[in-house]
Amino acid sequence: MANTVIGSSIVIDGEITGEEDLEILGTVKGKIALKENLRVEKSGVVEADIATTTVTISGQVTGNILAGDKVELTAEGRMVGDIKSPRILIADGASFKGNIDMDA
Amino acid sequence: MADQPCIIGKAITIQGNVSGNEDLVVEGRIEGAIALSNHLTVERAGVVEADVEVEDLTVNGAVRGDIRATRSITINADARVVGNVAAPRIVIEDGALFKGRIEMQFDLPEGVRAD
Repeated sequence: MANTVIGSSIVIDGEITGEEDLEILGTVKGKIALKENLRVEKSGVVEADIATTTVTISGQVTGNILAGDKVELTAEGRMVGDIKSPRILIADGASFKGNIDMDA
Repeated sequence: MADQPCIIGKAITIQGNVSGNEDLVVEGRIEGAIALSNHLTVERAGVVEADVEVEDLTVNGAVRGDIRATRSITINADARVVGNVAAPRIVIEDGALFKGRIEMQFDLPEGVRAD
């Protein structure tokens, strides 16, 4: 389980930075910069530019993602924005609109 | 989802506004403002530099800012708090460090002036 959990009724407007896993069930607007793994769960809504190592999206993300390792869009995930990452997975059923850049 | 408490971990910093309707535990750092209709706990490693509006607040760590609680504020033995606090019930434990103004909302007996 992630160390940090943003609960489903929590709204954060601003910037989140850190060096540990983050799980979002609520709403985050602004900017996320993380050295570890980010999970946007089914109820999670993120309107932010994201810089992290890996991202798993099962919720809704609007913004650009820069991931050092991997971006995974699961069947429930919806994303609008550009992704730059060496590994990108998009599951059957996911919604995505934007550019993908896999240049490492 | 209520079985999963909302935790801001040790290595996380949030700059901005945090609001919500559930309990929040801070082990990391929050700068900005917090508005919560439930219980906020600042753990020993936690640092909050924000104006806080909550129902209940428990401090074991450090808080700088103005605090307004609709029910209670508990400042435990290891806590450090700088700011003005207002709540119907305020507890400061022996060993806690506090600097600021305290305002408890209560009624004095008839005929006694509050000021």
